[in-house]
Amino acid sequence: MFQNLEIALDDLPGTEELEWQKLHPDFVRQMQVQHALIALAPLAGATFFSIFLHLPLVPAMILWILAIGFAIVFVSWPRISVPRRGYVVRDKDIVFRSGVIWRSVTAIPYNRIQHVETSNTPLDRKFGVATLQLFTAGGSGGDLKIDGLGAEVAEQLRIYILDKVGVSIESA
Amino acid sequence: MNQPDPGSWRRTSPFAILFFLGKLLRDIVKNAWQSFAPIAALLIASSGSIVDRLKIGAVVALIFVIVASVLRYWFFRFRITEDSVLIREGVVKKKQLDIKFDRIQGINTEQNIVYRYLDLVTVSFDTAGSSGDEGNLPAVPRAFAEALRERIGRPLGRTSTTDQEDHGETKSAPLLVLTWRDMIRIGLSDKRVFLILALLSPLLDRLGDEADAVITSYIDSATQGAMQFGVAGGVLVFFAIGIGVILLFALISIAAAFLRYHDFTLHLDGNTLRSRGGLLTRHEVSMDLGKIQTLRLQQGIILRGFKRFVMTARQARSSHRNNSSKNFTIPVVTEELATGLRRRFLKQEGRGLIQLPTSDQFTAISRYSMRMPILINVLIPLLVTAVAYSIEGDRATLLFLLWIPVSLLHIVKTWQHAGYHYTDEGLVRRSGTLGYRTVALLYRKVQRVTVSRSPLQRRKGLATLRVYMASGSVRIPYIDYGFARQLRDVILYEVESSQKAWH
Repeated sequence: MFQNLEIALDDLPGTEELEWQKLHPDFVRQMQVQHALIALAPLAGATFFSIFLHLPLVPAMILWILAIGFAIVFVSWPRISVPRRGYVVRDKDIVFRSGVIWRSVTAIPYNRIQHVETSNTPLDRKFGVATLQLFTAGGSGGDLKIDGLGAEVAEQLRIYILDKVGVSIESA
Repeated sequence: MNQPDPGSWRRTSPFAILFFLGKLLRDIVKNAWQSFAPIAALLIASSGSIVDRLKIGAVVALIFVIVASVLRYWFFRFRITEDSVLIREGVVKKKQLDIKFDRIQGINTEQNIVYRYLDLVTVSFDTAGSSGDEGNLPAVPRAFAEALRERIGRPLGRTSTTDQEDHGETKSAPLLVLTWRDMIRIGLSDKRVFLILALLSPLLDRLGDEADAVITSYIDSATQGAMQFGVAGGVLVFFAIGIGVILLFALISIAAAFLRYHDFTLHLDGNTLRSRGGLLTRHEVSMDLGKIQTLRLQQGIILRGFKRFVMTARQARSSHRNNSSKNFTIPVVTEELATGLRRRFLKQEGRGLIQLPTSDQFTAISRYSMRMPILINVLIPLLVTAVAYSIEGDRATLLFLLWIPVSLLHIVKTWQHAGYHYTDEGLVRRSGTLGYRTVALLYRKVQRVTVSRSPLQRRKGLATLRVYMASGSVRIPYIDYGFARQLRDVILYEVESSQKAWH
């Protein structure tokens, strides 16, 4: 029986009054370590230029200040950005928010998910976190990538979502 | 009997060698450097004069290409089973391709001039798969391709006899037939004309000194001759040359339109959209209406003059390549036809959706969308000019300020042309600067939705809604935040409660 009930716009479940789930507590530290490793590159560059190319004092100082300034901002950035990230697992879809300056909220319905992937790097394993990637049709790369989930949570989510995807395929 | 015969592996016609030859040559041109390396090595290794070496090289290359094509033909086998097309190919590296019927989005055929005499076609399959491999069946009888097309269009388990009456016999009248006037419209509105001009200008620069001298002396004599008629005559000659060049490119472009779209017809057989056309090589493209993800109507500045549109139905694209073969393009349509086709394509669900850009149904986006572009395009030229003027002191640098009015015009036009329009089941987004582009989509085919906000948008209560389809994303910037959320929730509701397949 085909039904097409009229739905009042205000009755639709919104996504604003959601309880955002936080990422793994160690994820901030993991990101900071990762960023610190990346920030070593400009520091190494500054060292190279000032020692081996015999830069005069003033340009060398400027280079150093820039490299250190970048390192400080870059390493402390996860403290600001990670608390802004969050996800909500709902009955029909999964919602993810991120961004500090440009803030975005993405929603993927389970019945559009093509496949699910979890992955972790050696650094991830050290901190016990993992990445969950959800793929929909037509996209390239991970369509929704949630970094910094607890390893067990990522696995649970993968199974839960796959289950939901299967149900939606069977009922379609 | 041309019915696809399940079970047996078969070869295509020997004329498939032509197809492999063409493909090989294309591959060689694409990977020119790698392909020429062994030939170059051979050239250097062999003795004799340069001309002799080149001759030997050409002969060797020719033999290699022909032998390779024959071998490829020899090792190419295909088989049609209950539910899939199997292809085995490869000379050194064997490859087996298994294309399931339900993954095939459309069957397209191509018929070059030789094949046309022999009633052969090359079949290519449009698949939604993520792998980059797309199958081709070169040089098979046309009737076989037709039978295959019919078979794939039919859901499993249904017998062919009932269907034959539905499709085979009653060929519907074409929805659209393009005339020579349309070829001219397509040719003139092709942006590639200007691209060719742009590409050719450095080539012209590189012409040898001699050619340069010849041209200059010619122009000199022409202008000198013209001098007798005065400066006005000289200017006239100059403009005549310019107009001549533009005319030449327009002619080339129109010829290209004839090549691709001569005798273009558009049919709707049941649920399958089909187009046929082409002067030397005939292309036949088909698409199932249900596979359409977005419907695009485009009108560049030249087409605006002609009051015509380009209509494109886009399918799901594979994640690897961004190829345009997944699009079904109707090169020129009138307003009425565009509306009619939209009704037929989106059916009941698309009712109420207005896609013509001049409609007053479109809601404008916020004026704040212009703020950042204006800041960037006014402040930066001002700064640059101020610095340059203070250093150089040359009045000519002030010319740079001309950038400001031009970019302001561009920004305002872009804002004026942006807009959106929605119903309970779908939405249309309008964009463009000189021309227009409208994209229509149905909510239930959406893959995911994002609502994002920049700092400015947060201050002004605005947001950008981005709707991801399997064919790409559609962005509606600078709309009311509450409305964006509401629309997002409606879309999610439609997707999550829809029982229909999106592809």
